[in-house]
Amino acid sequence: MATRLMFENSCEVGVFSKLTNAFCLVAIGGSESFYSTFEAELADVIPVVKTSIGGNRIIGRLCVGNKNGLLLPHTTTDQELQHLRNSLPDQVVVQRIEERLSALGNCIACNDHVALAHTDLDRETEEIIADVLGVEVFRQTIAGNILVGSYCSFSNRGGLVHPHTSIEDLDELSTLLQVPLVAGTVNRGSEVIGAGLTVNDWTAFCGSDTTATELSVIESVFKLREAQPNAVVDEMRKSLIDSYV
Amino acid sequence: MPRRPTRCKTMLNPQPLTFSPFARSAAQIASIHRDKRQTYKSKDQKGFPLSSKDKGIPKHTLEGKSDLSGSSEEEGSEGVVQADFVFFDPKPDDFHGVKILLQTYLDDTQWDLSGFVDLILAQTTVGTVVKIEGDDDDTPFAIVTALNLGRYKDHKCIKELKEFLLKVCQEKDVIRDLRLLMGEQAHDVGLLVSQRVVNLPPQLLPPLHDALFDEVSWATEDEPTAELRNSFRFKCYLLVSKIYKHKNANQKNNRNLIRRSGSDGGDGIVYIKPEDENFHKLSLWSFSFPMHTQQVETQEANYCLMGFVMAVETAKISTFRQQLQSLVVES
Repeated sequence: MATRLMFENSCEVGVFSKLTNAFCLVAIGGSESFYSTFEAELADVIPVVKTSIGGNRIIGRLCVGNKNGLLLPHTTTDQELQHLRNSLPDQVVVQRIEERLSALGNCIACNDHVALAHTDLDRETEEIIADVLGVEVFRQTIAGNILVGSYCSFSNRGGLVHPHTSIEDLDELSTLLQVPLVAGTVNRGSEVIGAGLTVNDWTAFCGSDTTATELSVIESVFKLREAQPNAVVDEMRKSLIDSYV
Repeated sequence: MPRRPTRCKTMLNPQPLTFSPFARSAAQIASIHRDKRQTYKSKDQKGFPLSSKDKGIPKHTLEGKSDLSGSSEEEGSEGVVQADFVFFDPKPDDFHGVKILLQTYLDDTQWDLSGFVDLILAQTTVGTVVKIEGDDDDTPFAIVTALNLGRYKDHKCIKELKEFLLKVCQEKDVIRDLRLLMGEQAHDVGLLVSQRVVNLPPQLLPPLHDALFDEVSWATEDEPTAELRNSFRFKCYLLVSKIYKHKNANQKNNRNLIRRSGSDGGDGIVYIKPEDENFHKLSLWSFSFPMHTQQVETQEANYCLMGFVMAVETAKISTFRQQLQSLVVES
């Protein structure tokens, strides 16, 4: 199910949070209602961790992760790194990388199997992504935009991309990612999908300006209506319980 | 960092925004333009068709030209930028731009800002959005409008706005007047919403305010129903704005310690929007409240950002308009 919420009057939920199948990161400093909405949806399934990255609250745009790992920019402080390592499940590898393009969330979009990367990303970073996140990396653009992380958002079930993506590009991306893709908007016509929306295999969070039409598109392309967390989490249950104890 | 007075900046250059340099740069632009050709056309035609979506005609061309040629500036690529500002009626497409401008209108409270913006954009007869001509992005640089508190009193955003103002008002004698204005007298009160990018050239202020007050008076004649016509017969305007107040301004003992940086009028207040000072002097009452939103670091470390609410009677508006003309000419 998709939930609409706001962070301090901003509808850019994907900027202040990062949702994957194994964990959820939430920015500090927002009102408690922001945090509690995530908790209400996810608490008994995956850990919801409050954090900052390099003292910033725009964590969704600075880091990238999936069930296998989490990549952090070089601006992350040691305390934040330690806090994340302590709070996340053991099977999630937390790594800080030296990459010139430090807004990793804007440059990289990924699910548990495939990642799309900014065309100017370092070779070394690409290898680390493939290694830590366990994904195949493709350098792509989306509707001519190199910030793939900002203009698309995809999970293992489906994806939403920039509204001006051509049919040919959509087909090509869909083949690469092996998931159905739809070109659409979020937050009442905003093209920056990655900033307005954060999604995993069974739930999504988007800004409260999102219209009913946009919400129904999101729910149908990400297959959220019939999605149950148990189906996905069962696979990971062993490792998750270990870390809670 | 000292700025050479011959260079002038127009709003398309991203600049760190601090008080004294901004006032100085605005002064430079104004002084250079006083003699140069200005293609202002204020809307003095009374029968101006209000129904047209694009006002178009009042174009305000600002040219920044340096008198000395060949002078180099160390602050990056500051060339001459020509900007034509055009005034438009509000339309639904402006939603995102206007929402960004009004993001910190009520501090960091979570309220129905989207509903508020919708309200502003739905009122096409009174209200102006300032854009740059030929801009592909179509981003609004300023929004100015007047909303009748009584007409919209059932809207969630207005209710939340009233609650917020009553909650932050700390002064007992003012809170009574505020409650009255927003309650019984609401149908005579216009909420004057005026928000813009901080570095919008001040020459735009007189035509912008003229446009607003002229539209209000035209609406009292041109609106289709009597109820709507009456809704624009404001007796009083309510303004919610922001100021920088000197931290020691309240303490009489510390008056000697108040730094006369030149940009405050001696009462320890720096007005982010210059016309607020005129409004303040003409206001019935006013109060300030502390704000939590983070602001850009200013040079004046002893000042803190505060919200500022004022009530101005309609009778004082014509004085205000005259003062505004001279304010821009002088500076």
